[in-house]
Amino acid sequence: MADTMGGFSDSEDESQELMTPAQLIGKLEEAWLNEKFAPELLENKSEIVECVMEQLNHMEENLQRSKKGDLRATIHRMETERIRYVLSSYLRSRLQKIEKYFPHVLEKEKSRAEGEPSYLSPEEYAFAKEYYANTETFLKNVALKSMPPNLQTVDLGKSVPKPNLDSFVFLRVKERQENILVEPETDEQREYAVDFEEGSQHLIRYRTVAPLVASGAVQLI
Amino acid sequence: MDPSEVEFLAEKEMVTIIPNFSLDKVYLIGGELGPFNPGLPVDVPLWLAINLKQRQKCRIVPPEWMDVEKLEVIREQERKEDTFTPIPSPYYMELTKLLLNHASDNIPKADEIRTLVKDTWDTRIAKLRLSADSFVSQQEVHAKLDNLTLMEINTIGTFFTDSLNNLFKIRANLQPRGESTMSQEY
Repeated sequence: MADTMGGFSDSEDESQELMTPAQLIGKLEEAWLNEKFAPELLENKSEIVECVMEQLNHMEENLQRSKKGDLRATIHRMETERIRYVLSSYLRSRLQKIEKYFPHVLEKEKSRAEGEPSYLSPEEYAFAKEYYANTETFLKNVALKSMPPNLQTVDLGKSVPKPNLDSFVFLRVKERQENILVEPETDEQREYAVDFEEGSQHLIRYRTVAPLVASGAVQLI
Repeated sequence: MDPSEVEFLAEKEMVTIIPNFSLDKVYLIGGELGPFNPGLPVDVPLWLAINLKQRQKCRIVPPEWMDVEKLEVIREQERKEDTFTPIPSPYYMELTKLLLNHASDNIPKADEIRTLVKDTWDTRIAKLRLSADSFVSQQEVHAKLDNLTLMEINTIGTFFTDSLNNLFKIRANLQPRGESTMSQEY
């Protein structure tokens, strides 16, 4: 954790100058909630993380100079603590997903086309790779080497469950969407389309709305 | 999501306070606050309001809807209608709880308000359970949940989605045709 967070501190400060800090915090909170509720690992938002880290470090530097018991400093400190909480919770939930689905996360990263943005930040990628190697070594040392020779290999990709994309999620619509196809649960029912009005809330399978979550048109809640 | 996290989000809601100290504008990362002048109302996020209140630096003005008469109307309407009625604040439950716990001396008829909000909440949760039941029995795959607050969704959230996922898995196994499309868990 410390590594992941420390890695972002020396970032280029020219990016994202169009966003106000308040909007930035809003974006971080959206990313946090989406990551919390989505069954799969979402695209990394390292620019947001970097910018927020920068803001926090800047503020904390300023706070170092303030006197103890100063009301203004206390207010600032409370705010930075709240933001830091969201930030660590966001990064932590990503790491949890990486630990849970590491072979598939790495598989996805490998099959990613040239030029497509990566789902993992460099730090997360290193973590996933290390986690994979460690799990493999552990299995080998503890159990596999005592097995008969024909049973000594294990395919982690097959033995670790995949994220269940069919799981249900709650969402709030941010941009109006038309004709979302809802797949039927049983043979007797037919598929039908629904419209998402702006501001409405729905319960639906994640698979149906995954592209909308990625584009930011809906917010998971 | 944990209820405490929903409460965390609710703490961002703005409330009006009447400070008893003076302070220039504070430029927070999330926007500017103030200036604070003794006796003049000013809007601050709830987390700050409660902190200032605990240090006896301000009086909290209850939100407009936190009023016995208004809440009685809401409660009656909620009981009358079968669907969820619009609620005055997306965080009504959390706000009521936090404000009544930390600033009950600033809110007139605090006990009555507590009961009214609790009644409304109970009615809504009962409706939610009913609709969840029919959702499952009709094997629906989509539901619209307008007017539900985050706290209400989260009360049944994880349990409900987990059960739906398991039901789906059981049903998928009954229907051999869909094998290739469904994600298999080992």
